Amino acid sequence: MPERVIQPRLAQGREHIVATVDEIAPGSHKLVPIGRHGVGVFNVNGSFYAIANYCPHEGGPLCSGRPRGRTVVDESVPGDAVMVRDLEFIYCPWHQWGFELATGTTAVKPEWSIRTYPVRVVGNDILVQA
Amino acid sequence: MIEHRNAERTPLIDASVHVFFTSNSDLRDTMREPFASRGFPDYEMDWYGAPGGEYATGTRGPDGQYPGSDPDVVARHLFDERGVDVAILHPMTRGIMPDRHLGTAIAAAHNEMLVSRWLESAEYGYRFRGTIRVNPDDIAGALREIDKWGAHPRVVQIGIPLQSRELYGKPQFWPLWEAAAAANLPVAVHLETGEGIAFPPTPSGHTRSYEQYLGFMALNYLYHLMNMIAEGVFERMPNLRFVWADGGADLLTPFIWRMDVFGRPHLEQTPWAPRIPSEYLPGHVYFVQGSLDGPGDAEFAGEWFGFTGKEDMVMFGSSYPHWHAGDPTAVPTTYSPEQRDKLCWRNAAELYGIDISAGVAAQ
Amino acid sequence: MTVTEFRDRVPATEHIAVRCVDSDVHPMPRRGELVPYIPEPWRSRFFLDHRVGELIYYDAPDYVHAMAMRVDTFPPDGEFAGSDPDLAFRQLVIQAGADIAILEPAARTPRLAQAHQAFASALNDWQHHHWLDSRNNWHQRWRGSICVAIEDPAGAANEIEKWAGHPYMAQVLIKAEPRPSWGDPVYDPIWAAATKHDITVSCHLSRSSYEMLPMPPVGFPSYNHDFMVTYSLLAANQVMSLIFDGVFDRFPALRIVFVEHAFSWILPLMWRMDAIYEARKSRMDINRKPSEYVKDHIKFTTQPLDYPEDKTELTRVLQWMECDKILLFSSDYPHWTYDDPRWLVKHLPESAREAVMFRNGIKTYHLPETVPALEGQVRVF
Repeated sequence: MPERVIQPRLAQGREHIVATVDEIAPGSHKLVPIGRHGVGVFNVNGSFYAIANYCPHEGGPLCSGRPRGRTVVDESVPGDAVMVRDLEFIYCPWHQWGFELATGTTAVKPEWSIRTYPVRVVGNDILVQA
Repeated sequence: MIEHRNAERTPLIDASVHVFFTSNSDLRDTMREPFASRGFPDYEMDWYGAPGGEYATGTRGPDGQYPGSDPDVVARHLFDERGVDVAILHPMTRGIMPDRHLGTAIAAAHNEMLVSRWLESAEYGYRFRGTIRVNPDDIAGALREIDKWGAHPRVVQIGIPLQSRELYGKPQFWPLWEAAAAANLPVAVHLETGEGIAFPPTPSGHTRSYEQYLGFMALNYLYHLMNMIAEGVFERMPNLRFVWADGGADLLTPFIWRMDVFGRPHLEQTPWAPRIPSEYLPGHVYFVQGSLDGPGDAEFAGEWFGFTGKEDMVMFGSSYPHWHAGDPTAVPTTYSPEQRDKLCWRNAAELYGIDISAGVAAQ
Repeated sequence: MTVTEFRDRVPATEHIAVRCVDSDVHPMPRRGELVPYIPEPWRSRFFLDHRVGELIYYDAPDYVHAMAMRVDTFPPDGEFAGSDPDLAFRQLVIQAGADIAILEPAARTPRLAQAHQAFASALNDWQHHHWLDSRNNWHQRWRGSICVAIEDPAGAANEIEKWAGHPYMAQVLIKAEPRPSWGDPVYDPIWAAATKHDITVSCHLSRSSYEMLPMPPVGFPSYNHDFMVTYSLLAANQVMSLIFDGVFDRFPALRIVFVEHAFSWILPLMWRMDAIYEARKSRMDINRKPSEYVKDHIKFTTQPLDYPEDKTELTRVLQWMECDKILLFSSDYPHWTYDDPRWLVKHLPESAREAVMFRNGIKTYHLPETVPALEGQVRVF
């Protein structure tokens, strides 16, 4: 279910206080109405990252995707694969293109990237420049 | 050397010439008991044999020798009449045998015949290179064949059938690919002749016409290749090279596009193949190009040849003595001289380590 | 996006030009919605006689969570993606800009041909009552498919006769997997019924069981990745069968659409078929070059669009195949492999956009050139 963005839109090109630290628990995100599609602010193991709610592939609502890890080979376990770095990656809910939240890009091809925004934490406030 | 339509001359390597025993007694004499007395089929197929005959007219020897079975006849046809400088010989065997021991024995006999009669021919051997046939259903036996013949100076690749009951990306085949790569031998895949065990030739079962069979059968390489990519075979074996000897290189372009677009969402399911699929093609995948391949003399033929790096993968192969044996001078007008050279000899020379300038001197 | 403007469910009198025909949209019955339409004895003695659970293998990415769908297409009532005509209307017609959508119900294939036919007839009744009726199709944007089981040619022909002439059934829908391939004369009653009523026959991939998975001739793919990519070879073989077995000579008015099988492979396949024809025509019964049959009788939907890193190669391929003659836009909503029309149209050569996005669709499915306007609808181009 896509989120409903019901607050009035915030002006682009400025720094906004978008949430308090306690509002976004680790592993979750908040969608804030900046820009045409919105900006998703994610808490990844205590660090905050902000990405555009727009997949560069076909324009899907990226922030509605399911954050999770990525798969690596491990021939010591049954099935030869394990998921690592849980919740550090976002996968588009349309075609499941995956991106690393911290860098906004992918290991396999760095030129595949999503739009990210600088995030600062000041006291209890999360600030995003978008 | 061949003379092209624009009067330029280039060397010519024929990357796919099929050779046969002269007769069943010739084959059985080369085999040892108990296999020499076993029952196994002839070369000709029943349901999918070509109406009108499998072989081109004029390929039987003057004394009725089976096409592709007599080095004198073949050498005259290839070297004197068709302008071939060096020919890569590929023995056809007798079908996929349910008894893998028998299959290996038949393949081994063909290898002995290939080496003694062709590669070590006093008169023509220096212009022949050979494909050692191995049986993917008998890995141990296949490794023994590679051990036995792999270092022969005129053996350039191993040969396996296109027909299979499992795709060649699966791990049961990996020891065979590893041995081929370690011996620096590409693996050539070609439709096996004769009757044997196999699934119907298309995903919809059987065809009513030979022409539909002809059109589809070669395309089965795509199932093998895409599975090999998704299984990470080329990631695991960086030196492995495969040659799809029935042609169909043109279909590689649209299918690798699909493999790439579809690959990105599936990266997390196949971490052993971490790269985008098309990145696994260069240096790993090659094709024989025959008379049914290509867009003809279309004005975009040269441009199409450059897509997907095909111009570095494709080698002219006549499939002599088959009825569709191709004309090497039918190079599209819009091929650049470099593209023409790659097709006619350069790609094969590089892949098989053939020094074409010395190609007509003794080796 | 709300539907407050549409709560009266009355179409506008003002009309707008159709500029986007979506040739592949998947409606899904709500739980329990379809069973009443399955005729007896099949309903009780075949379909309800044992529980059938999840059947998936070759699973799409993140299957447990996404179910091979766009994750944002599941309605809030807990039913499956594509089960709510109003949500589909909002997302596909209003927000994505499809003007007319061809509905193609997809369902598993039963083991027995007559059971499959009974199920197909149920899908047709269900569409008639739940998507094409005046309440759910008040906007006149949905068209349905006459689903048939081709393994039962006589039953399929009857089903076509039954629904031909329905104002909102736009095509016959068959699956790609049954054997033998379509050149076999056993299927002639279906082509006869379709051409008698001038209805296009569309073929959608379906997956099935055993040798009709489709089982490749040389072994089983390992992953959804290699399975779905090589699936197109099934369609390539069907194209060759249709042509080499003379179906278009027997039925010169027949039109076939291949849905969701990809399409760029048809360019080199046309060359290959033409080369075989050139070499062997003295032994063949067909009257024309194979590529001519393709251009005159066969179309392909654009989804999934495949392309290389250098997209100009796709542009060239589209030009060489005369894409304006053979392509139809499709989205595959609500599946995860969905192609958005505004994204897709940018990949077409400009001279082909109108043909692919709507003119070919209007001709192929006998659609009107205008539809009642919808306020706030996205216009694709």
